Amino acid sequence: MIKVEVFSSPGCGKCTQAKNVLKAIAEEIGQDKITWRDVNILEEMDYAVELGVMSSPAIAINGKLIFSSLPSAAKLRAALDKQLAQTR
Amino acid sequence: MNTPTLHTIGKLALVTDVTSDAIRYYEKEGLLAPTTKTGAGYRLYNEDAVRRLRFIKQAQHCGFSLSEIRELLTLKNSDAACCKDVRSVAIDKKLQLAHKIKALQIMSQALTELIASCNDEAKPLDECPILAALETSMAKQKKGTAHD
Repeated sequence: MIKVEVFSSPGCGKCTQAKNVLKAIAEEIGQDKITWRDVNILEEMDYAVELGVMSSPAIAINGKLIFSSLPSAAKLRAALDKQLAQTR
Repeated sequence: MNTPTLHTIGKLALVTDVTSDAIRYYEKEGLLAPTTKTGAGYRLYNEDAVRRLRFIKQAQHCGFSLSEIRELLTLKNSDAACCKDVRSVAIDKKLQLAHKIKALQIMSQALTELIASCNDEAKPLDECPILAALETSMAKQKKGTAHD
């Protein structure tokens, strides 16, 4: 199971866009393979700092910061496919 | 009709508690511009400049750099921007500060350990465990770099 975490703040327009991209891709791959969590950066700032998040939105996969800005759908898909291949 | 109050650079510095040198520097950085100039070439500023300088000063107190303040001023004057854009800049700044605080805490912890290693203040300098620990860690770092 791949753990995807999206760091953003409530009311952030570009973050909503990132989440929608992620949601669509997660659903495409299968929710039995991916768990995803919205992380409110203001509530979990220490955790964000721990992962090296310097700006929002940011995306961590399996506890590792992978995207420090908004990725394209293709890049996100490629990163998730890579993780899936490693966990097989 | 009232004539708008214009300040010389010295008066502006006095009113805003910012030095004349800083005001000139902000001008050079494009953060501020004089309203007009006298015939002799002296800069004159209106109340907008006073407000702008106070804004710059307050933003600096919140940790914003001059380039970030420029970004905030651009947002402030942009018709396309809204409050959430400013909020996003503020959140990113808070995140940066949290990173700095963490780095400072690590430094502070390293110092705590060094201080704890020195339990005899009367020791001569060549036996000082703090200096020895710093030298050892520097040698380790050099060795690590050589292997890279």
